[in-house]
Amino acid sequence: MVKKYAINLTVNGINYEKEVEARKLLVDFIREDIGLTGTHIGCEHGQCGACTVVFNGKSLKSCLMFAVQADGAEILTVEGLAKDEKLHPIQEAFWENHGLQCGYCTPGVLMSSYVLLKENPQPSEEDIREGISGNICRCTGYVNIVKAIKEASKKIEGAGI
Amino acid sequence: MKPFSFEYFKPNNIDEAISLLNGYGEDAVILAGGQSLIPLMNLRLARPKYIIDINKIAELSYIKDTNGGLSIGALTRHREIEKSDIIKSKYPILSKTVSLIGNPQIRNWGTIGGSISHADPAGELPTLLLALNGKVKVVGNQGEREIDGDDLFLGYLTTSMEKTEILREVYIPEISPKMGWEFVELTKRSHDFAIVSVAVLMSIDNAGKCNDVRISLGGVGSMPVRAKGAEEFLLDKAINDDSINEAANIASEEAEPESDIHASAKYRKEMVKVFVNRGLISALDRVRG
Amino acid sequence: MNLDGNFRFNAPREKVWKFFMNPDMLAKCLPGCEKLEAKGENSYEAIVKIGISVVKGEYSGKVELKDIVTPSHYRLVGEGGGLSGFVKGEVTMDLEEESDKTIVKWKSVAQIGGLIAGVGQRMLSGVAKILTNQFFKDMEKELTKEESL
Repeated sequence: MVKKYAINLTVNGINYEKEVEARKLLVDFIREDIGLTGTHIGCEHGQCGACTVVFNGKSLKSCLMFAVQADGAEILTVEGLAKDEKLHPIQEAFWENHGLQCGYCTPGVLMSSYVLLKENPQPSEEDIREGISGNICRCTGYVNIVKAIKEASKKIEGAGI
Repeated sequence: MKPFSFEYFKPNNIDEAISLLNGYGEDAVILAGGQSLIPLMNLRLARPKYIIDINKIAELSYIKDTNGGLSIGALTRHREIEKSDIIKSKYPILSKTVSLIGNPQIRNWGTIGGSISHADPAGELPTLLLALNGKVKVVGNQGEREIDGDDLFLGYLTTSMEKTEILREVYIPEISPKMGWEFVELTKRSHDFAIVSVAVLMSIDNAGKCNDVRISLGGVGSMPVRAKGAEEFLLDKAINDDSINEAANIASEEAEPESDIHASAKYRKEMVKVFVNRGLISALDRVRG
Repeated sequence: MNLDGNFRFNAPREKVWKFFMNPDMLAKCLPGCEKLEAKGENSYEAIVKIGISVVKGEYSGKVELKDIVTPSHYRLVGEGGGLSGFVKGEVTMDLEEESDKTIVKWKSVAQIGGLIAGVGQRMLSGVAKILTNQFFKDMEKELTKEESL
């Protein structure tokens, strides 16, 4: 019998009490134990950023944390962006500006963008590129991603969020 | 890949952490930010049987500007250092250096204590620590002791800390506001591991001669090193294009890098010259400014 | 990966040669060596545990001695692997006399693959050099011990 550890945490506003093996990665916990598969696994060793979530307000590559460390935490995943069937302005901006192709890196990029815009509501292009430097995209060449984030910042400002 | 199984502990204070390290010995590892350790575990290159998570030990996270120097708790995140106003104004070289580490996610979680005790020869903070004449305070069975940066790094991923010691604080002596500085690095892609990195601090006396200079090199061997020959050459000399070029040559000659898939030894040596040059020119600019 | 180097031993060549041909001595000095067993004429199997800091692994391998020219030359051909990677290569060893001392000139060519080669690439040759130097230093220590007996 492998030792299990009890954890209690909130994901997208919902509280969960679960038991996990110590070695269970947070990304696997989110995908398997909570059933939220929007967060993707790309490289599993912290290089690609596809697994990025927001953890207690900070962006985190969730393959670089064990679920057992997340006891007491508040996590926001890509599923938590839209509210009442309405897309978050960042999601709208990505859709309108073709900021994704295959979509594999997109959840991670959205979460990094979310945190970036919270900290810096009027980012310059340089700020944006720095802000997403922890996310690798193999499809877009980043041009439309940057455009989308710039649009998103305007939308958010306009909506007074 | 998924990591091997292990047992997990989350001590409440540093004494508990040390006692766990003692209890489980060789097979126990400290987990701080996890940004270096967990990738190694996920790749199964590291297979510790016991993980001691020190993230609950809040008293290890602080930035204290004291008379004569800066004390930073080991658990302080790179991001906190990057955003610190006191560090921006009094230790700007540290602000710039941490902003070059990895990417936002890594800086949110990576810690100064973790980075320094991990001792990656391409790591920015170990290289900077040497240039700053910094030291670390570690705690173990015999209590607390200080280790000078010069005596800390022994080789790849290896420090002179005992297996049962925990890095508690990084101490940086005061930097005179008149000092010029620069931290530059060569990476294949932005935020990659440095092929060559250079930290420079320099001050010039009233007669226009250099009276203090530190040049530290990263990525050129199994650990960061001070370019002592280049430093000695510059002391008491007027700093100009010629003396800068000569110093850069000396630093390049002294360096003994290895070849690897990213860059040959010859290329690294050449880049030492280029980047020491750039570092000195920029530092000189800041002195005048 | 191509590496080479020299090491000077304060002992006459015959003695140094005997040491290098002695599997018990090799087992003692090879960094991390847990087991070195003779499997036939000039052929051995070994298990080594090597690691730097938290990166540790166990590797098993076979080594054969070829082209033996007593007491000056031989070639080691081997291959091995573990969870983190594999290695295949050879080392030529030349022992030269320098009055009553010996210079061992070694030259190695190796192919390294697997995880450790990919992820650890930038530290591989440096670590290999460190381990090799450690091996030679330990051989020297043992030689000196024997001399003083």
